[in-house]
Amino acid sequence: MAHSLAAAASSFSPPAARRRLPGQVTNVISRRSSVSFNSQRISFMSIRSRPSQLRFKICCSAKKETVDKVCNIVKTQLALPEGTAVTGESKFSELGADSLDTVEIVMGLEEEFNITVDETSAQDIATVQDAANLIEKLVLEKAA
Amino acid sequence: MAFTMRAVKVPPNSASLEEARHRVFDFFRQACRAIPSIMEIYNLDDVVTPSQLRSTIAKEIRKNQGVTNPKVIDMLLFKGMEELGNITEHAKQRHHVIGQYVVGQKGLVQDMEKDQGSSDFLKKFYTSNYS
Repeated sequence: MAHSLAAAASSFSPPAARRRLPGQVTNVISRRSSVSFNSQRISFMSIRSRPSQLRFKICCSAKKETVDKVCNIVKTQLALPEGTAVTGESKFSELGADSLDTVEIVMGLEEEFNITVDETSAQDIATVQDAANLIEKLVLEKAA
Repeated sequence: MAFTMRAVKVPPNSASLEEARHRVFDFFRQACRAIPSIMEIYNLDDVVTPSQLRSTIAKEIRKNQGVTNPKVIDMLLFKGMEELGNITEHAKQRHHVIGQYVVGQKGLVQDMEKDQGSSDFLKKFYTSNYS
């Protein structure tokens, strides 16, 4: 009796353990996709459903937000210390970035804002403000 | 068939260092744009982020920062394109990609600095008994 019960318990537990892991993974995947879908929807609705005057204001505030995002990405990419001041006028070369670092920053911005920067536009980027302006233009073009 | 088709597309040699440098940036952009599909093919979402992979690729390119001969740069670019093609066409297994580009930076891959001046004897001497 004891042997049969122990065998039954040992036989039951592995399937339960196996079943849990795929379920958890599936939940994680579904959560991620739902989150991204919601974020994209929110951004599109906010752009489309506003009147022109408010749209202009949103563009201004978005530009400030965009510059802040770009500054954060630049800090992360170049591993700058916390005290470093990165503003819209900061040049990548002054922050210690070489040409490959600049390309890497542009690729990071592409991934963050889900845009594609063509080569000629990428060559003109020298400051944080240039990057933010280009991103704003590309995001508006994509939303239209 | 895909491999045969790919083998034909060998680009001509760079005429100058500036052109070779330009091609390096094009290769880096191409590799970065392939990162999302690579992460999907090999199911790397649990072990690495696209940003980390991008940094690893940049680090690999920066290893050859001191090379100034356009012919050597072309050869290195060809090898890089071949490696990228192997990865995107699933000619590697998941543990190969993880071992070389994810955990390789933490001691799995022996990272010998490229010393231009030393002879082969000295390089092997420094390497000692490690493969």
